[in-house]
Amino acid sequence: MNTVLQWIDERLGAVELWRLWAEHPVPRGAAWKRIIPAVLLFAVVVQGITGFVLLSYYTPSDNSAWESVYYLQSYVSAGWLLRALHHYTANLLVLLIGLYLIQLVVTAEYRKPRELVFWTVVVLGCVSLGLMLTGDLLAWDRNSYSASLVRFSYLKLVPLVGGDLYKVAIGGPGPVFGHLTLPRFQALHIGLFGGSFIALLVLLHYLLSRAERQEAKAGQSTEVRWPAATLPAAIACAVFMVLILGLSLSHGTTPPHAGIPLGSPANPADTYAAARPEWAFLGLYELVHLFPGEYGIVPIFVIPGIAMLLVLAMPFTGRGRGGYLFNLGVVAVLVLGNIVLACITLARDAADEQHQAAIVNEKERAERVVLLAHLNGGIPPDGALGLLRRDPKMRGPELFTAQCASCHSHSGAVEHEIISEEVSAPNLGAYGTREWVAGWLDVERITSDEYFGKTAFRAGKMVEFVRTMFNEKEMEDEDRADREKLVAALSAEAKLPSQAEIDRRDADVIKEGRELILDFGCTDCHKFHDRGSLGTAPDLTGYASREWTIGITRAPTHRRFYGDTNDRMPTYAPLDAKPEDHLLSEEEIGLLADWLMGVWQEAPEGN
Amino acid sequence: MESPVSSPSTQRGAPDQRRGFIAKVAAAVIGGISLLVPAVTALVAYFNPIRQKSPGGEFFRLTALAALPEDGTPRRFSVITDRVDAWNRYPREPIGAVWLRRTGDKDKPVAAFQVVCPHAGCIIGLDSTPDGPRFFCPCHVAGFDLEGRRTDRPSPSPRDMDALEVEIRGDSDVWVKFENFVTGTSEKVAES
Repeated sequence: MNTVLQWIDERLGAVELWRLWAEHPVPRGAAWKRIIPAVLLFAVVVQGITGFVLLSYYTPSDNSAWESVYYLQSYVSAGWLLRALHHYTANLLVLLIGLYLIQLVVTAEYRKPRELVFWTVVVLGCVSLGLMLTGDLLAWDRNSYSASLVRFSYLKLVPLVGGDLYKVAIGGPGPVFGHLTLPRFQALHIGLFGGSFIALLVLLHYLLSRAERQEAKAGQSTEVRWPAATLPAAIACAVFMVLILGLSLSHGTTPPHAGIPLGSPANPADTYAAARPEWAFLGLYELVHLFPGEYGIVPIFVIPGIAMLLVLAMPFTGRGRGGYLFNLGVVAVLVLGNIVLACITLARDAADEQHQAAIVNEKERAERVVLLAHLNGGIPPDGALGLLRRDPKMRGPELFTAQCASCHSHSGAVEHEIISEEVSAPNLGAYGTREWVAGWLDVERITSDEYFGKTAFRAGKMVEFVRTMFNEKEMEDEDRADREKLVAALSAEAKLPSQAEIDRRDADVIKEGRELILDFGCTDCHKFHDRGSLGTAPDLTGYASREWTIGITRAPTHRRFYGDTNDRMPTYAPLDAKPEDHLLSEEEIGLLADWLMGVWQEAPEGN
Repeated sequence: MESPVSSPSTQRGAPDQRRGFIAKVAAAVIGGISLLVPAVTALVAYFNPIRQKSPGGEFFRLTALAALPEDGTPRRFSVITDRVDAWNRYPREPIGAVWLRRTGDKDKPVAAFQVVCPHAGCIIGLDSTPDGPRFFCPCHVAGFDLEGRRTDRPSPSPRDMDALEVEIRGDSDVWVKFENFVTGTSEKVAES
């Protein structure tokens, strides 16, 4: 055994190298000064190990990047932990470099012979921010997408070549990110920033050792590096790892929400209203607010550029006592300025209801898409955005707000309340339910703003009919019971899944109610199955059912619905118009109908 | 024939020095030139996006005039056409969106604005305030009135919202020249 080792070492010289390193005399106390560089070295190893495995699961493509991260987070054993370790190590790494820079300025260790040490740390800090900027987008969720879009658009502020810089950065013509943005960011993250980080860190340790050797020669009291100087470093690394592990476990251990929560998939058609940069850039973000847009280049490039020059010049400016204090002042201003600015942003956002609502909405989206992927047994080839696009629960409120809420509200006992600012049409909350249908046969309710109050039908035949037939003062208990049966029969036409059980239970009542529809003379104006005729009032056959709802949304002017008497309801997809002229596509109208009727996938009970 | 080596030299060692210098330069140049091949190829390929043109500049039919609310409330319309991204062609997908509103003006009945904020490329939404609706970009809290003018001074936006050219064709169809503009500058320059 020994001969083998000897044979190898004759050729490798490792023992000699080890001795050189381990028995190297270092100034007493140098180990403590070098704690942070030692932890950085440890952190790089952590990032290398976790990054390699992350890379093995990641696909840098716009319709599978989020999906691959979701898979890692939800289904790969310890995948969520792996991602969290990488994330928190990256963030603490940036923080540690910042702290190390402060340490160097406080101890004036930018002075001869440590100028290069100082500059290397400054560049290392820039590279770590580059790692953060490029790594953030790779998860391809709404926040990272929107925040990246904003910060990379600032490249356009660079005079003359700004537009080209932006195109090169995102790997396409823009204006939004495309297919090639992720491969480019991945290449920058690992190849350029990752590679140069390792190279700079090696350089830093070489420079530190050299400086220490010179100090040791200068007659300072010394000790041997191994183990006197390495034990503190090892302990620091352990503390660092405990911290990272603690942060990683702070969201519990049940995937997919353990570790670093993953947002909802990036949607290039819309930016995320509550998008904010990472903590390290919050100060810069707030600085943008202090300058009018015409001078955008000042907060983005000029002020950070001046700050960078002041820091780089510290070895020259910090020669005397006055210079030392000046540098200390510069660091204090930078650190405190960043903290104050970041706090302003945080305070404003905390007080901003819309911002908070957007965050809640995003959290719901993120949870919803994970549930949909789970319920469908996987993500379809068009990606997680396709799942969200075809989900009535997510799309319904969006479509309703954009297309219907200028006239209709959707309120009452409903999960998602949307209040129209200027109601001029019936409230569609609890649409088709008995409670909702009952309103049409109650004088007070039908003439209220919840029904016909703000429409041309306020003084129409239907209201007149209800006033005569269901006059509250003259009604007997029996009449009320009849009305309830009528309502049950009409509401049963909607075939609401939420009422399936009571419809089945009340089958006899509904049968009686259907007779009453004829007895009350509804079919004098309305068609109801084989009785009555179209052309005077909306068809009651299949009233408020999915098919009926789609029909009236497509063309309320159709003779099956309001015909010529239609008030102001737009025709969203008339049958005689070309599909490209429709205000809403067939799929969208179907989603709206499903949402109004409460038809969407939900997690099974007790799961 | 005298060989150069045996020729008498006034300064011994000078040719060796010269040869040494030439060798050093040659080594650097030959090595450097060899590296130029992959370096130049890589640079040309990496900077290829510069040659690509941003889409836009054509007229698109967005909607029928009748679909715009009479009271001037803006509505958002997507610009739908075939979207090309690197090797993929997506038939009929949104390549952007536009805010449209009636102005009440007879000559220019419809105003159109890019939804993209001139500041940093976020999407401008509609916000309700006690004074009625206004345009609002949530990324850096920039407000615009319904004419697209900045409401707060100083505004994070370097210019007012980007108006787009509108044509009403056949008295009923709203056509808009869809363009993207460079963000962050005070003058409005179309992306190229």
